[in-house]
Amino acid sequence: TSAGKQTMRPLMLCQPFVKASLLKGSFKTIVVLPKYVDEGEWIALNVFEFFDYLNRFYGVMTEFCTLRNCPSILDYSWLDANRQPTRLPAPTYIEYVMTWINNRLNDEIVFPTKAAPTTTASLITPSAHSANNSGASTPVAGQPGDWIGKEGGFPPSFFQTCKAIYKQMFRVFAHIYHTHFDKIVHLSLEAHWNSFFAHFIHFAREFELLEKRDMEPLKELIDAFDAQIAANSSTNKAT
Amino acid sequence: SGSLQAGSDYVVFERNTENFSPQTREKAAATKLKVELFYNQNVQHAVERNQRRMELERRLASETRMSEERKDRQRQQLGKHESSYLRLRRTRLHPDDFLTVKVIGKGAFGEVRLVQKKDTGKIYAMKTLLKSEMHKKDQLAHVKAERDVLAESDSPWVVNLYYSFQDSVYLYLIMEFLPGGDLMTMLIKYEIFSEDVTRFYMAECVLAIEAVHRLGFIHRDIKPDNILIDKEGHIKLSDFGLSTGFHKTHDQAYYQRLLEGKGPNSPAPNQGRNSVLVDAIHLTISNREKINTWRQSRRIKAYSTVGTPDYIAPEIFIHQGYGQECDWWSLGTIMYECLVGWPPFCAEDAHETYRKIVNWPETLYFPDEVQLSYEAEDLIRSLITSADKRIGRHGADQIKLHPFFAGVDWDSLRSIDAPFKPQLKSITDTSYFPTDELENIPDAPAVAAVRAHEESGAPFSSDDTGLPFIGYTYKRFSQLHSKGGIP
Ligand SMILES: Nc1ncnc2c1ncn2[C@@H]1O[C@H](COP(=O)(O)OP(=O)(O)OP(=O)(O)O)[C@@H](O)[C@H]1O
Repeated sequence: TSAGKQTMRPLMLCQPFVKASLLKGSFKTIVVLPKYVDEGEWIALNVFEFFDYLNRFYGVMTEFCTLRNCPSILDYSWLDANRQPTRLPAPTYIEYVMTWINNRLNDEIVFPTKAAPTTTASLITPSAHSANNSGASTPVAGQPGDWIGKEGGFPPSFFQTCKAIYKQMFRVFAHIYHTHFDKIVHLSLEAHWNSFFAHFIHFAREFELLEKRDMEPLKELIDAFDAQIAANSSTNKAT
Repeated sequence: SGSLQAGSDYVVFERNTENFSPQTREKAAATKLKVELFYNQNVQHAVERNQRRMELERRLASETRMSEERKDRQRQQLGKHESSYLRLRRTRLHPDDFLTVKVIGKGAFGEVRLVQKKDTGKIYAMKTLLKSEMHKKDQLAHVKAERDVLAESDSPWVVNLYYSFQDSVYLYLIMEFLPGGDLMTMLIKYEIFSEDVTRFYMAECVLAIEAVHRLGFIHRDIKPDNILIDKEGHIKLSDFGLSTGFHKTHDQAYYQRLLEGKGPNSPAPNQGRNSVLVDAIHLTISNREKINTWRQSRRIKAYSTVGTPDYIAPEIFIHQGYGQECDWWSLGTIMYECLVGWPPFCAEDAHETYRKIVNWPETLYFPDEVQLSYEAEDLIRSLITSADKRIGRHGADQIKLHPFFAGVDWDSLRSIDAPFKPQLKSITDTSYFPTDELENIPDAPAVAAVRAHEESGAPFSSDDTGLPFIGYTYKRFSQLHSKGGIP
C-alpha cells in the first residue's frame, strides 16, 4: 500500500502536533540576560527551573517509562563505578541522571545559595589575578582568572557543570520525544511540552550550553520549530 | 497505536487516556497548570524587572548633578538586587532555617508554629504536614497546584503563602502569621456575639467566600477554626484543601475552571476608615451550662483526625454532587453559632451530627431563650436549607442584599475599624492562641508515630523522597519584591 511505502514519520514531526505550542511571541523576552544582572545567577536559576519542570514532565511518564517498555535509551551510556560505559534501561538511566543533577543543584559549592551573591571583596580587586583560580578551569568570560558566575561566588567550573547538566537534560527530552510522545499527545500535553523544549533550546543557544552534535537526536524537530518561527515572523511582516 | 497516517505529514490521532492510571492523569493536569503558571510568572517577572530598571533610569536622568560614576554604581546596585532575587528563587529552604517560637495550632497531619526566619528575623506561621498521610489521600498533585494558584491570588481574604518546601517526612508551608487567633478561640472566649458583631464577621466572610469562589474554588471546609484574625481584627480564610477528606479526584475540567476563574480580583478599594457599621464587642454574660460543656468538647474535636462535621452541608455527605453553595450552608451554621452559642447540629458524636444535618428540616431549631431579630433568623434559615433553595446559589450579591446586612458598606468593609482589634505586645505575641492547652493535647496518631521514629534515630526509607516531591518549592517573589525586602 502507499502508506507502507512512506517511511513512518515520528509523531512529534507530524502535523498538527509539531505545531502545537503554548507560547506565542519571542523567546527573547524570557531568555536574554536581563540588564545589569549577574550572568551566573541567571544561568543558575534557569538550569534549576528547567530541571524542576523536566522532572515534572518525566514524573507524568513514569507509568510508561518502565524497565520492560524502555530497556534502552537511544545510544547513551552511563559510566559505571570503574568509569566503563554501561548500557542501561531508560528509567534507570534517567533516574541516575536526575539524581545526579539534583545533587549538583543542591551542592552549595557548585550552586551557592547562602552567601550574598556579590561580596564587596570582589569589587575591591577588579584586576584579574590568579590567586585561588586553579588553571584547570575554563576561562569562559574573557580574561583568564575571570569566569561566568565569579561575582556571585560560583566556582570556576560552574559553566562546565551547567553544560554537563544541560547535555544530560537534553537526553531526557530526547527519550521522551522519541519514545513517549504519543503519551504526551494522549494527555494533551503536547503544546506545553513543545514550548518547554523550545524554551530549553533557545536558552541553550543564547548561552552556548549545548554542542551541535549533542542536539543531533532532535535535530529535525528543532529545525521544524525554527522554520515555524521564521514563517511566523515573515507572515507578520507581510501583513 | 492511536495514530493513523493521512496525507504526507498529517495524522489523525485518537486521544484516549482511559487506560492511564488516575495518578498519571492527575499529574498531567497538575503539570499543565504548573507550566502555565510558570510562563505567566516568567513574563510577569520580565515585565516587573523592566519597570524597575526604567524607573531607575528615569530617576537617574532627572539627577542632573549626579556624576556618571555614581549613576553607574546605582545601576550596579539594582543589578545586585535583581541577582539576589534570582538566587532566592532557587534557594531551597530547610526547617533549620527557622526558629520555633511556639506551637500555636494542631491538626490531624501536623501542627502550626510561630517561627522566626533565622537570617532575617522575620516572623511567619509554619504549618507542617505529614507527607505519608497525604500520599494516602492521593491528592498531592492537585493540592500543590491548588496551593500555588491560591498563593498567587493576592486576595486580602486568603492567608498568604510565602514559601513551601519539604524534607523526607513533612511538607512545610510558611505563611503570614495572623496574630489575632481564630474565630473558634474567640467564640470560646466570648460565648456569643451581639448581632452587630455577628454582622461584621458574617459580612467579611461573605466577601472572603466570594473571593474564593471567584478564584474557581469551593472551600468545603469553612469553620470557625479556619477563619483567622489579622492584627487589625479583620478576617482571612486559612489555607485549605490540604487535609479535608472530601476531595474527589479532579479532572481536566476542574483545572480548567480553576484557571478561567483566576480573573483580576482586585481588593476592595480603600475608601478610608469609617466605623459606623459596628459597635465594639459587648458581651451578653450568660453562664449557660450547655455552651460551656459543648465548647470544651469543641476544642478537642478541632484537634482530632476526623475533624468536626458540624459545618458541612448535607449534599456533601449524600455524595450527590455539590457546588459552591455548600460554603453558604457552612456560613449559616457559623452565624447560628455566633448568635446562639453552639452550632445548630451539635451532638455527642460525629455520627449523630451527620444524622441531624441530613435531617435538617426536622432538627434545625432555635432555642426559645435566645432572642434573634427576624432578619437574623431569616438569613440563617435561607442559608441552612436545601441547595436548590439556598440563598447565594446565584452569587454572593443575593446574600449581600439580605435585610440582615442592611447598611453594610461592602466596598469599605476591610478598611473600617473591626469590633475587636488584638492588643499585641510584640510581633511574637501569642496570647490569642491556646498555647498552654496545646502542650497537653496529644499528637495525632500518625504524627506521634513519626515523632517516635525520629527519636529512635532510625532512618526513613528513601522512597519518601521519590520523584513526586522533588522540587516542591514555592516562593512568593513578586510580593516580597514589591514590599522591598529580601526575606
Ligand atoms: N497563618 C496562621 N497564623 C496564625 N495562626 C494560624 C495560621 N494558620 C493556622 N493557624 C492556627 O492553627 C490552627 C490550625 O490550623 P489549620 O486549621 O490550618 O490546620 P488543620 O486543622 O490541621 O487543617 P485544616 O483546617 O486544613 O483541616 C488554626 O485554627 C489557627 O488557630
